[in-house]
Amino acid sequence: MNFTDENQGERMKFVDIWSKYVLEHDDKNWSKQQNIIINSSLRTAHMNKKQYLQMMKK
Amino acid sequence: MKFLGKNVIKVDRELSDLDRFTLDFIKILRKHTTYVIVSGYVSILLGRARSSEDVDIIIPRIDYPNFSNLVEDLKDASFWCLQAERKKDIYEYFKDRVAVRFAKRSNVIPNIELKCAKNKADNIALEDTITIKVGRSELIISNLELQVAFKENVLKSPKDLEDARHLRNIAGGRLDGNKVRNYKRMLNELYG
Repeated sequence: MNFTDENQGERMKFVDIWSKYVLEHDDKNWSKQQNIIINSSLRTAHMNKKQYLQMMKK
Repeated sequence: MKFLGKNVIKVDRELSDLDRFTLDFIKILRKHTTYVIVSGYVSILLGRARSSEDVDIIIPRIDYPNFSNLVEDLKDASFWCLQAERKKDIYEYFKDRVAVRFAKRSNVIPNIELKCAKNKADNIALEDTITIKVGRSELIISNLELQVAFKENVLKSPKDLEDARHLRNIAGGRLDGNKVRNYKRMLNELYG
């Protein structure tokens, strides 16, 4: 098995672990953890409307 | 998470910034048309541990007056279209089945990718839906069998295969295997 396949296999194992956690725990519990990923990724998105429109003009 | 019958799921989740953004958009959209949320946000709403920069929404083809009212309401609520400013120009994209993106205030991310239904799969997504009850709000998502089939047979990226696996795990025995297989056959005909 090459690195990519092995890595994907590990990722799938985590998907299984996490979905089991979601099913076995209160929604507030898992969503609070999930929101750390979601909110931080959206807050670090660096492009604003002005920059976007300037980029599109170019 | 509670499955309340075949087509209703109650998720008593803590709202994320992405949820609030989506709910704000849907509050306006549903006044003008039916809709269905598809793809990544479906998995995220049902607990998948990842984020997304956009939320994919399919609506039926609507005429210009209705679309114009929708865009007007979106503008009043601080949404802006990334591709064009004039309503007529935005409609041209939509009419030509090019997805139009809407973000809020000075942001670009997250954004809504609003698409006009373009084929049999999109029409099925619009017709065979699941209502997600989130607090006092509701969101309409595509049936899970179509989402799993689309991700496993059309999109197929590692991220999409993980989304499909998550949906399979969450739905468990409620997922209709025959329906998934039939959708896969249909999608193979549509997308090759």
